[in-house]
Amino acid sequence: MTTSTSARAGVGPARAGSTPAPALAARTRGLRKTYGSTVAVDNVDLDLPEGAVLGMLGPNGSGKTTTIRMLLGLVRPTRGEVELLGHALPDGAGHALPHVGALVEGPGFHPFLSGRENLRRAAAFEPLLASGSIRGAVEDALERVGLSPAAHRRYRGYSLGMKQRLGLASALLVPRRLIVLDEPTNGLDPAGTREIRRVIAELHAAGSTVLVSSHLLSEIEATCTHVAVLHRGTVVAQGELAELLRSGSQALMITTPDVEEGLNVLRASRISARPAEDGLRVELTGTSAPDVLRALVGAGVAVHEATRPHTGLEDLFARLTEDDGPDRGAEIDVAFEAEEELR
Amino acid sequence: MTAETLVAATARPRRAPTGRLLASELRWMLRRPRTLIGLGLLALVPVLAGIGLSIATGDGSGPAGEGLAAIIGGNGLLLPIFVLFLSLPLLLPLLSAVWAADGLAGETANGTLRGLLVAPVGRARLLAVKAFGVAALSFVAVVVVTVVGLITGLITLGGGGMISLSGTTLSLGDSLARIGLVMLLVTFQTWAVGAVALAISACTEHPLVVVSSVLAGLITFQVFSLFSALDWLQPFLLTSAWDPLANVISDPIPWQPLWESTGLAACYLLIGLSLALWRVTTKDS
Ligand SMILES: Nc1ncnc2c1ncn2[C@@H]1O[C@H](COP(=O)(O)OP(=O)(O)OP(=O)(O)O)[C@@H](O)[C@H]1O
Ligand SMILES: [Mg+2]
Repeated sequence: MTTSTSARAGVGPARAGSTPAPALAARTRGLRKTYGSTVAVDNVDLDLPEGAVLGMLGPNGSGKTTTIRMLLGLVRPTRGEVELLGHALPDGAGHALPHVGALVEGPGFHPFLSGRENLRRAAAFEPLLASGSIRGAVEDALERVGLSPAAHRRYRGYSLGMKQRLGLASALLVPRRLIVLDEPTNGLDPAGTREIRRVIAELHAAGSTVLVSSHLLSEIEATCTHVAVLHRGTVVAQGELAELLRSGSQALMITTPDVEEGLNVLRASRISARPAEDGLRVELTGTSAPDVLRALVGAGVAVHEATRPHTGLEDLFARLTEDDGPDRGAEIDVAFEAEEELR
Repeated sequence: MTAETLVAATARPRRAPTGRLLASELRWMLRRPRTLIGLGLLALVPVLAGIGLSIATGDGSGPAGEGLAAIIGGNGLLLPIFVLFLSLPLLLPLLSAVWAADGLAGETANGTLRGLLVAPVGRARLLAVKAFGVAALSFVAVVVVTVVGLITGLITLGGGGMISLSGTTLSLGDSLARIGLVMLLVTFQTWAVGAVALAISACTEHPLVVVSSVLAGLITFQVFSLFSALDWLQPFLLTSAWDPLANVISDPIPWQPLWESTGLAACYLLIGLSLALWRVTTKDS
């Protein structure tokens, strides 16, 4: 514990683990970006707590990359403000960005240089790297992404996955306080995907904050502590992953042999339910789990087991981003309200 | 920790050492195959010109042409100057346009510019690094032409004092000084083109657009200078600043036209860099 804290101290102020409201590594307020008449991102209030691994989800064109670009000061917002590691952009970019590693919109390197030469060039521009330590930092980064054997080859000849790894390596050149990865698993084989997962876990363990966008929900579910779901340029849900999944679950699974009787009892109490495998599936809208159980047990229905089904991120994501109306969603609960309206 | 945060907030941001950035930029440019090919082809120009001129003037059939070419027979020290003037209307501007194109448009297309901006290197600083790269390589190109021209000239046309356009013979020292002067003047004119090319390069992500725009501009300027109806435009055309440079080998040197040419190039340089700076600092990447 002490060692990891002191290791972080060299990089910058460590994550405030004990304070009740954790500091934010990145924060946007009312962020909006338009390209001509296209609204790419609108009214995005994103909170990225320090030390978190935030997964950014959203369908194609939902504004993930645009948001990330504004976070990094690459794109100037039409409106709204961005704060990165405590510095307001764009003025504070010089202070914040040295501590930020990024892989945005795929890796960008020069085809006529080798992987190692490309990294050396990137390293030369890193403010936090002393000139003497460039070589070592480059070799370490190559090692870390498993690219050392191919480091001498020209980037031109790299496979998609190797290119992606080199991109990751350049984000890892310096110990970072924040790493931003836009679809890092793009084009990677299963082993590569696992390695990304490992790298993210390592960064998390070392106290870095990670922002990762991906279409692989299972990856997000496995690696992230927080999620933000974007849809049509706005954040429709954000928060701790476990929290979101819990609040997303609205059904109760009852294991019982008395299905018919149970249904009758619930209908009499105006609770919607339907038969399911091994028993009943009860919707918890307008009622609560204790009420349901009380009704069932009171009527003599044999309840063997009652469980809240685990909503996968997949379900949550599908519900938040399915296109059934133009006015879906400003914040998380809107999605649930909408579901009530459907009924 | 509070102290640390305070220091971080008030201190100037850490920046990568400027020398390291410039060295990295030069290394990158010189590693490009097209840079080396371009410089190699450029080095051929004096060789071919030297051989051609020595054949044309060697059999005593009289002068090889008008102006400079007329006095170049047996006048090897003049070859570098001759070839520099030969390269100025097209080859040197083209090369500097290619470098400027690769510097911003090419790096944008590659996705590498993003990486540099996030490193971060400030946008104005990035442009300065790019401008330095174009300027340095333009100078390298001029040096290559001059050195190869000097050697070829001495071999194919023979040494001896430089004969000026006015017919006087200049001492070796004076001749070398004038070669140096032409190098500087030609380099500066190339920089002017490079600055405009950088401005175009900042506006696009297609390097080819930059090179073809510069080429189109050069041709248009040269066509304009053919029409007497457009005479009023002459003082503003960069290409029209290039002919008066031949005055360097008059004896004595008439400085006025040289200053005017250089002044015009300085205007182009300033406008080009300002536009590039404005574009680089405001655009999304
Ligand atoms: N430079 C641009 N010019 C015009 N429109 C743009 C530009 N960049 C983004 N957009 C638009 O903004 C919207 C959001 O794009 P963005 O790239 O942020 O989506 P994304 O969430 O990253 O999608 P994906 O999952 O496909 O990567 C899209 O409608 C896109 O067409
Ligand atoms: Mg994207």
